[in-house]
Amino acid sequence: MQLDEERLRKALRKPAAYGADLDLDEFRLEPGGRVEISEDVAGAGVEVGVDFGKKDRLTTFFQVDHEVLYRAVQRQFQGAVELLTIDEALEKHDWAREYFWRLKSPYEDKYTALNALHGKGGYFLRILEGKKVHVPIQTCFLTYSRDLIQNVHNVIIAEPGSEAYIITGCTAHKEAAKGLHIGVTEIYVKESAKLNYTMIHKWGPGFHVRPRTGILIEENAELTYNYVALGSVGSFQSQPSARITGRGGTFSANNIVYLDGSSDMDLGGEAWIEAEGGRAELITNAVVAGRAKLVNRGRVVSEADETRGHISCRGLMLSDEAEVSAIPCLTSRKMKAELTHEAAIGKISEEQLFYLMSRGISREEAESLIVRGFLDTSSMKLPDHLEKSVKKIVDLAIKGF
Amino acid sequence: MLKIENLHVEVGDKLLLKGVDLEIGEGEIHALFGPNASGKSSLVMSIIGHPNYRVVEGKIIFKGVDVTEKPTYERVRMGLGVVFQNPPKIQGVKLGELIKRISKSKERWVEVLRLLDRLNIDSGLLERHINSGFSGGEVKRCEIAQVLAMDPDLVILDEPDSGVDVENLELIGRELSESLRGKSALIITHHGYILRYLKPTKAHVMFKGSIICDGDPKVIFDRIMSDGYRWCERCSLMRRD
Repeated sequence: MQLDEERLRKALRKPAAYGADLDLDEFRLEPGGRVEISEDVAGAGVEVGVDFGKKDRLTTFFQVDHEVLYRAVQRQFQGAVELLTIDEALEKHDWAREYFWRLKSPYEDKYTALNALHGKGGYFLRILEGKKVHVPIQTCFLTYSRDLIQNVHNVIIAEPGSEAYIITGCTAHKEAAKGLHIGVTEIYVKESAKLNYTMIHKWGPGFHVRPRTGILIEENAELTYNYVALGSVGSFQSQPSARITGRGGTFSANNIVYLDGSSDMDLGGEAWIEAEGGRAELITNAVVAGRAKLVNRGRVVSEADETRGHISCRGLMLSDEAEVSAIPCLTSRKMKAELTHEAAIGKISEEQLFYLMSRGISREEAESLIVRGFLDTSSMKLPDHLEKSVKKIVDLAIKGF
Repeated sequence: MLKIENLHVEVGDKLLLKGVDLEIGEGEIHALFGPNASGKSSLVMSIIGHPNYRVVEGKIIFKGVDVTEKPTYERVRMGLGVVFQNPPKIQGVKLGELIKRISKSKERWVEVLRLLDRLNIDSGLLERHINSGFSGGEVKRCEIAQVLAMDPDLVILDEPDSGVDVENLELIGRELSESLRGKSALIITHHGYILRYLKPTKAHVMFKGSIICDGDPKVIFDRIMSDGYRWCERCSLMRRD
């Protein structure tokens, strides 16, 4: 796609439809000087589920600021997985260009425009036709330099009949007390492919995050899209948007959120079901503490028969100063479409607490069990060992609860 | 084991228990009968220490200790176990996780596994979230499994036989008749089905917030079955000795 630079420059002034508006001039496009990366960056990766340890026999991509620090496809998966930097992909495959800015408009807002004009890094990941990779592919984006805009563009293509798990961790090093992460991600799940994509985000109170995600799901393809956000974030806004264009395509989004501090999060999700038999499910389970504020938007639009869509938002309030809003929206253009939503926001149930205490568990322990249970990872459809590790990360993040 | 003296309990500003006296000795199994809303479940909630059930007068003494003001979990850790009639669902907390947590010690784990096996609680059920989508029989079996896993000295069963089909009743009945041996227990039952398996030594009838009669379980139960609680109302005029 040919980009119109003039239009992009205009779009740089366009705020996003939702969420706090950021002044991009407060951030830097370049780190400024040479960055000496400290040895503890690997530890930061582990906190968001990316393991560089000796057990690491996985396909891995690791970017710090703008630099791709490490990229390797485990030998046994060569020929099944192709993992390239964006520049490599564009150089290697004539057709690669077609996959950029197809599912997301670069003119959408200032963040997409900034990405189109000044994007640096990101990966091009392809699971080759018919290949089933059950060892997770892991990617990690770490921001290290203060005030920097990490500005990446990722393309994921699950080719027909392929299967894979991707776990991607995004975090800011403690050095980067303030910063902005823009991540444009385009995910193509082709005919009968099955992809499980899990993101784990952990930022900091001075960090701002604007992921921009477009998804295409073809015939009988399935995408499980898991998003886990833990702790504090300055501001976050995202509205991943999926189009189901093939019969029987399935999109299942699970958000697991634990927000504290003064976090301001606007977390949405959209599914456009354009083909018969398509299914979409947008599920959010959020625990909100401190003075954190969460807006959860869900939208399902059905434009074909025999389709089903469901939106669920459950919010658990741990503080009177927190705020949770659930804004579900269902649009049906067919009689034979079945769309439903449910939302419930409340505090920890006294009845549940009492029940656990009647089993000899103290009040504090019972509260912790309920909060952990609320952030249930079982709907993420992860293999056991991965689910365990995600659960552990969640448990660590809500320690003290 | 348990001694309740002149217990008066309020929920909100409503007095639900109006001077209950009850004593259960070590190794004794008692039955508690009474019409709907007579205060049976309120008594159970008061014994376990539900925060909404406020004791305004009287005492609950468990194993010689006054537990009237003690929090629920302390009473439970002292050896009290309650099988609830309508336990809540807890999304995200797996049954197996809870049972593992509350089983008294690691050494007991083998015993707990045997217990789960006898109660026909398979790994699929252990993986499910507590009471979420469970059938009536599953709820009761899991309640009983949790309580027995804690190995309590006094077990209170609030209608263990309600909403349970014949097969489940037999399973539960047989398990309880074995596992309650040597323990103290208080069984609340409406229909008395569970009494085919458990033989209480004493029965009490609760009426309008107090216990109005004690006696032989079979005699009392047969009378209730033939004449209903109207008989108790007339009988209560005679007062309890």
